[in-house]
Amino acid sequence: MARRPIWRSWRVIPVLAIGAALTLLLAGVLAGLYGEKLYQAQKLREASVEAQILGSTASAAVVFQDGPAAQEYVNALQANPEIEAVGLYDEHGALIAGYHRGGAPLPGHINGPAAPLFEGAHLVVTEPMRQAGSVMGTVRIQSQLEPVSRRFTRYGGAALLIGMAALLLGVLGAAQAALTRANRELRHRARALAATNSELQVQIEEREKAEEALRQSQKMEAIGQLTGGVAHDFNNLLMVASSGLDLMDRTDDPKRRQMLKDSIRQAVDRGSALTRQLLAFSRRTALKPEVVDLASQVEGMRVLLDRSLREDIVVQLRFARDLWPVEIDPHQLELAILNIAVNARDAMPNGGRIEISAENEAGFSDGALSGDFVKLSVSDTGQGMAPEMVSRVFEPFFTTKARGQGTGLGLSQVYGFSRASGGDVRIESSEGKGATITLLLPRSDKPLTVRESQTAREEPAHGHGKVLLVEDDDGVASVVGEMLRDLGYEPTRAENADRALRLLDRKRRFDLVFSDMVMPGELDGIGLAREINRLRPELPVVLTTGFSEAAAAARQDGYRLLVKPYRIEQLAAELQAARNDPHAAG
Amino acid sequence: MRAGIGFLGAAALILAMIAGPASARAASLEFPIKAAFLSKFAPFVEWPPTAYPSSDSALSLCIVGADPFGVAIDQAVQGQHLGAHPLIVRRLDRIDANSGCSIAYIGGSKLQSVEDGLAAVQGTPVLTVTDQAMSSVRGAIHFVVRDNRVRFMIDDEAAAKNGMNISSKLMRLALSVHLRSGGRL
Repeated sequence: MARRPIWRSWRVIPVLAIGAALTLLLAGVLAGLYGEKLYQAQKLREASVEAQILGSTASAAVVFQDGPAAQEYVNALQANPEIEAVGLYDEHGALIAGYHRGGAPLPGHINGPAAPLFEGAHLVVTEPMRQAGSVMGTVRIQSQLEPVSRRFTRYGGAALLIGMAALLLGVLGAAQAALTRANRELRHRARALAATNSELQVQIEEREKAEEALRQSQKMEAIGQLTGGVAHDFNNLLMVASSGLDLMDRTDDPKRRQMLKDSIRQAVDRGSALTRQLLAFSRRTALKPEVVDLASQVEGMRVLLDRSLREDIVVQLRFARDLWPVEIDPHQLELAILNIAVNARDAMPNGGRIEISAENEAGFSDGALSGDFVKLSVSDTGQGMAPEMVSRVFEPFFTTKARGQGTGLGLSQVYGFSRASGGDVRIESSEGKGATITLLLPRSDKPLTVRESQTAREEPAHGHGKVLLVEDDDGVASVVGEMLRDLGYEPTRAENADRALRLLDRKRRFDLVFSDMVMPGELDGIGLAREINRLRPELPVVLTTGFSEAAAAARQDGYRLLVKPYRIEQLAAELQAARNDPHAAG
Repeated sequence: MRAGIGFLGAAALILAMIAGPASARAASLEFPIKAAFLSKFAPFVEWPPTAYPSSDSALSLCIVGADPFGVAIDQAVQGQHLGAHPLIVRRLDRIDANSGCSIAYIGGSKLQSVEDGLAAVQGTPVLTVTDQAMSSVRGAIHFVVRDNRVRFMIDDEAAAKNGMNISSKLMRLALSVHLRSGGRL
């Protein structure tokens, strides 16, 4: 709204300034003319008064033709430098006395008083000489005017000043206008910039969302690649278990039965390890860094790697003894190694070897990086890369793969992970000679984070007491009930949390509650545990689940937790521990 | 009259220029100049207000006794005014307080000496003029010829006795001035 007046003003200002300048000039000219007129009038008055005074004083000398006396009066006027010539004439116009400053002759005769005469730089005034009302003669005074040129010079000076003032006004006006225009331009630019900025902000947000989506899809892609192998593997495991059970029915040979049992157990263990890895891998939330031993961490990935790669690819692990611990996010590490391994696999279409090795690097120093590091290298025997690609492989979305086969985010995750862990990543490759990607991870001084103990195979500890088993799945309830009885407990089953609470209400004495977490009904496992804590704080509760999210929630609340699938030894140890120390989480 | 004064001006000029040896010629111009002077004294003199019976009554220039001017005085006075008062010439053998003269040139004669004439008008508003050429007795204004020029002396005290004031302008032209008691130039 305020723009239009501003737009108008920057055009009007110079016009106003020029108008003011012209007005000033006109006023100056008028003032000059008026001044000229005043000057002439003043000069005329001065000369007339001089003439009258002279006429009055010298009248007697003129009347009585006393030349010397008249000359004395006239000479007195010589003190006035502006008076050029003076003449005293008697009543008949004859010259009695006079002088001319320049020595020029005075008119010898005049025809009495006449009108004043401006003649260039001279003013001639004639005044009658009066005495007691009678005219006795004439005084003629020729007065010097300031030369016209000098007066005009003076006016010129004033005109110059006025002109300069006008010019200044004009320049100021123009400058003001230019400034206003520039300001306006600046406002426009600022507005445009703000608009562009907000647009950019929106684009950045969209891009971040897209990147997040891509990262997730990259993970999903990796999972997808896993799925085929995992399903195949599971079928094999189930085949082993199923045929093993069939064969056990057909033989009574204890040795042969033991062999079949072992192979079934082995198959189940492998399946259990596989699902655990998958759950950890698919977890979206970023986990806290832990101080880990790289060797055992990567060792634990063997099954995952075997399933992710093809059968024609051999994976070799080679770790130095006494590797320093590193503080990293184990799941990110697994993902990084998996990404590198999948890249290596794709670089070896005809099979090959992937070697994962680690060694300590003391006193390493390169650029901003210095100190002790653990060097984790993944080498392949693939086709390698051209140097110009080597420099770009860590860029997000850079991919050498065909459309739809890769996201280009794999190695960028590796880069991000290594940098976030306080380390760096290097790549060495040449065409036809494979590639080696090396992660430099800083050494940690902290003690190793204690992980859930992998219970060793040992005889399960026998317990006793009444256990309230809360489990919605009949199959699981039946097997777990058998395991509890086998361990010496007296289990009572409840299908859901409500039923469990009712059983507790009947004042039946229980020594322990062992509850599934994800169940139908109003209360889930956590809700039930909280209720029991409220009603019977002394009663120990152990929760169990196969869901990673639910497991995280239970741990957060500080409950004892047994992750499915578990073995009878683990069940025995957890229940024993809960009975010994009801309020400490496992 | 214009011709007369023109003649007077020219004569005065010549008189001022010519030297002593030409005194005979100078003498011929002496009285016309004195006549012109006589006709010009009036503006430089103040008479008491009682001197004029009416505002436009004539101002009489009386030639008392011998008349050395002849027609020159008539020419000089012709057309002269002091304000509204016309100036006229009257020739008298003798003068007294009732003669009605404003200016009296007292040349003296057998009928009345210059001294008697002066005494006759003492105390009345009459400007008395005497002439070295006639007598050495002085009135208020006394003509002399000095350096071949007609000059005059002023006796301000005499004027004061007759109740008259003479303008200082006139006094400055005088060869000498006898101031009235307490007066200054």
